[in-house]
Amino acid sequence: MSVLGIIAVAGRVAGETVTTDPQGHVITNSAYVPSLTEIVWGGGAAVVVIALLVWKAGPPAKKFLAARTAKIQKELDAAAADKSAAEAEATNIRQAKGDIAAERALIIAEAQAQADALLIDGRARLVTEVADLEARAASDLVAAQGRVGDELRGEISRLSSAAVDQVVNGTLDDATHQELIEHFIAHVGAQS
Amino acid sequence: MSDNRIDGYARALFEVARAEGNIDEVEDELFRFARSYESSDALRNALTDEKIPAAKRQAIVEDLLGGKATSTTTQLVSMVVGSGRGRDLPAIVDKLVARASSSKNLEVAEVRTAVPLTDDQQTRLAAALVNATGKQVNLKVVVDPSVIGGLVATVGDTVIDGSVRTRIDQLKSRL
Repeated sequence: MSVLGIIAVAGRVAGETVTTDPQGHVITNSAYVPSLTEIVWGGGAAVVVIALLVWKAGPPAKKFLAARTAKIQKELDAAAADKSAAEAEATNIRQAKGDIAAERALIIAEAQAQADALLIDGRARLVTEVADLEARAASDLVAAQGRVGDELRGEISRLSSAAVDQVVNGTLDDATHQELIEHFIAHVGAQS
Repeated sequence: MSDNRIDGYARALFEVARAEGNIDEVEDELFRFARSYESSDALRNALTDEKIPAAKRQAIVEDLLGGKATSTTTQLVSMVVGSGRGRDLPAIVDKLVARASSSKNLEVAEVRTAVPLTDDQQTRLAAALVNATGKQVNLKVVVDPSVIGGLVATVGDTVIDGSVRTRIDQLKSRL
């Protein structure tokens, strides 16, 4: 039933005469402007209906809208919180990334320092070892020279001794013995 | 053996030889035997081997000296060897010679030579040593081939070395 139908019903209830066509349509006085009675009754009914709507449907609608607003706000808050969390996470990631870079730089710097120290130490040790080797070689050379010299002198002494023994034994005949004895006697007799 | 015991044996041998009246001859024979004993390992081993009975060691001495030395010398050496003092025989004899020389106010002059000396050489050598040391000497000549040539004379603490051995050693040392 349309509003106008309701108005017509309400007019009948109120005792107003309502003209209708054979098909049951309400016939008004003007095609565009209803009659005053219709306006009054229709307006009153509309007010009543609106009042009823405001009275009965308003609070639930407000409640619904408030709830919907709260829900939307909640979703907005959650989204904001998620955004903040995401931004914080992004910050942490960026910070971690920065820390990793700093750590990498520190490790590289330490490794470089250790490598430099090892290089310096290695060079110093190498220099020392070379000096030691040179000193040892020089010492060995001197020792070898001395040893060879000693061996040579020993060999010369041995050969000379053997030669002396052979020469002496070959030349010591009886005449030489007697000459040595006479020389000894004369030499001792000359002492006083 | 202690020095006292060696002195005791030397004094006993000296007194026996002097009592027999042939101290000079016995002293000389003992000295020569002592030098032979020192230079011969076989003789030294035979006379000091405790496993050989004393009678057998004395028999060896008598075989060696019998007919070549006076009976006094043979008996004295036999006595020393038989009493187990063969190892100290040279020291005992040296003491005896020193005692005999001292009794005549002489100093023992031990002369080592590579070849034997003639009597004339010994006389001149003794005179030369008297002149050099200022002491009367009792000359004892030892033939020692290790001298090689020349002589080595020892009078008390004085050594006069004219041996070829020493000169060769000095030459080797310088070399």
